Amino acid sequence: MDFIIAKYNYWIYIILMMIGFYAMIAKTNLIKKIIGMNIFQTAIILFFVSMAYKKGGATLPILTNADMHGEHAIQVAGYLNPLPHVLMLTAIVVSIATLGVALAIAIMMYRKYHTLEEDEILKAIK
Amino acid sequence: MGAFLIYGTIDMPDWGDPNSPPSVHVSPRYIKKTEEETATPNMVTSVLADYRGYDTLGETTVIFTAGMACILLLRRRKEAGKAGQ
Amino acid sequence: MIIEQAPALIVVVSLMSAIATPLIGWLRKDLCYLWVILSLLFTTFCSVLVLNTVIHQGTIHYYLGSWLPPWGIEYVVDHLNAMMLVLITGASLLVAIYSRKSLEIELPDRTIYFYTLFLLQVTGFVGIVITGDVFNLYVFLEIASLSGYALIATGEEGAPLAAFRYLILGTVGACFYLLGVGYLYMVTGSLNMADLADILPRLYESKVILVAFAFFMVGIALKMALFPLHLWLPDAYTKAPSVASALIAPLMTKIAVYIMLRIMFTVFRPNFSMALLPVTQILLYAGVIAIFVGAVMALAQRDFKRMLCYVVIAEVGYMAGGVGIANAVAIKGAILHIMNDVVMTLGLFAVAGILAYKMKDHEIGAFKNIFKTMPFTMAAFLVVALSVIGVPPTCGFFSKWYLIQGSVMAGNWIFVVALLFSSLINIVLFFRIIETGYYDFGTSESGHAHEEGSAVNEAPLSMLIPTIAVAVVIILIGLYNQSIITNIINFAVPKI
Repeated sequence: MDFIIAKYNYWIYIILMMIGFYAMIAKTNLIKKIIGMNIFQTAIILFFVSMAYKKGGATLPILTNADMHGEHAIQVAGYLNPLPHVLMLTAIVVSIATLGVALAIAIMMYRKYHTLEEDEILKAIK
Repeated sequence: MGAFLIYGTIDMPDWGDPNSPPSVHVSPRYIKKTEEETATPNMVTSVLADYRGYDTLGETTVIFTAGMACILLLRRRKEAGKAGQ
Repeated sequence: MIIEQAPALIVVVSLMSAIATPLIGWLRKDLCYLWVILSLLFTTFCSVLVLNTVIHQGTIHYYLGSWLPPWGIEYVVDHLNAMMLVLITGASLLVAIYSRKSLEIELPDRTIYFYTLFLLQVTGFVGIVITGDVFNLYVFLEIASLSGYALIATGEEGAPLAAFRYLILGTVGACFYLLGVGYLYMVTGSLNMADLADILPRLYESKVILVAFAFFMVGIALKMALFPLHLWLPDAYTKAPSVASALIAPLMTKIAVYIMLRIMFTVFRPNFSMALLPVTQILLYAGVIAIFVGAVMALAQRDFKRMLCYVVIAEVGYMAGGVGIANAVAIKGAILHIMNDVVMTLGLFAVAGILAYKMKDHEIGAFKNIFKTMPFTMAAFLVVALSVIGVPPTCGFFSKWYLIQGSVMAGNWIFVVALLFSSLINIVLFFRIIETGYYDFGTSESGHAHEEGSAVNEAPLSMLIPTIAVAVVIILIGLYNQSIITNIINFAVPKI
């Protein structure tokens, strides 16, 4: 069972992803679907960021003054991996943009039908 | 679907492993050379704005797209008495 | 200088002109249309230059910011890319020319923002096709998708709900793609496609790679509208405004097929995708079922645009099944079919837009006597219909021929049956429209109605010229298809 203990962080993210995915598919209220989508995307982002961690006292990926003037060689293992952080900054921005467009569409529908339940809107269209 | 994801975690590198492939393959150069190549002590910034600046351009475009989409979708018609479309 | 920088110019010019469009629109609204056409002309010119360079010199590698891969992002343009670039920019140029009159009727007060999102969508598509880095592809995929959702939501009654459903399903697809990228990164540490292709062969036994591949495939299948994940497509493309569906329908699903080809053959080499997994079987069966479902549901529709949506679903089935057959001839057919399908779908939706402009309706029963009132449009429609059915010398015949040849060589008779069945159903579908359009049933005073209705009431020129251009291109591709295959597609097929 040690593979579970060593990688428990991944299990947490998978559970979060499942919660978000279920909310997106199974609920009929538009706002609940949007929130589920956001939870799903946030879980993926957390998953990526967790990849960047290094045990053994690694600090943030910012060079301190002591390292900056080339006094000694930079220890790679002393700093976290910056690349996933960068990718996830972009992914966070993309998820907020998608959230914005989804809410704009929801506002459009609310203005027209005065309800936010998907089945009532379907009835109103027919 | 969750079971499938969990199946995938069996072969993953452990949490916090400093010898995992992401930490060994591409990023050491970012960490080592950020000072001399980009003169920025903050590694995240140097990757975001210099090595992978193009992704940042794409991200800015995404924000612009979302803004334009909101204007397109939410602008009300000027005539009074018509439902917004 | 233009030739060296052309790959980057294509994306950058589209992006900058998209940003400039609202500014120009606030100054003078009429300039927007000209500006859009100018910028699309320039990008089409650049993509033709790129195609020319690739044919004569081989693959182009363009390093953005002069950082070598895998530390920087690079653009890799090989034959498959270059062909798609020309298709995308050419199709958007034609839709842009076509768009003015249609927008005047459907969306008179918001044309500026519509054109902005139009150019942003083209930027997204071009960015997806040209990049050699998997995360960059995700960013541009989101640009294209977001502008698509917004463009669709401005349509008629029921469009916002269709766009909302498309948004939820499309975001799930893109997130699965991102998960796949994450899993791959976790075991390789690289994001560049060529670099991943080098590292992955050592890791073929890893379960993470398997999961990553599965997520890629499911995510792409959602964007591609492959059965059973096609449920968003009919509502979204029917209720969108005519210009939006004419832009998005030909391109979005085929670009998703392109992404699938890249992932399967460039990143995961062919021996992984084909030999180690039953992926090709799944693709083949999904393709066959998609063809049957598309054909049968199309027969049941009374609305012209909805019928076309199901034809699109069937076409995606051809391409997925062609890749699923997994020999070189069938993949050649599938890639040729991408080219043909862009042109054919553009023609079909352009005609639908013209009919919506003139008739204000898209029920098939309303299309009486249109062959007399709109002769040129219906002539173009005839050419496109012949191509969908698969009659030589139009291009549709040749791609079907290669697909049938490939599946016979593989001994796979189900696909052959599906292709022939779909051709027969298409004949029925299109002849139904031709029949309604030729004869004027329904009114008892049909003699009088004939005389009033037979004056030529053709579509406006700006909508007519692109439609006829599409019909001409279909015939040209059909006539020249041998040289296209030997120069371009033969190099794009992966070595199996």
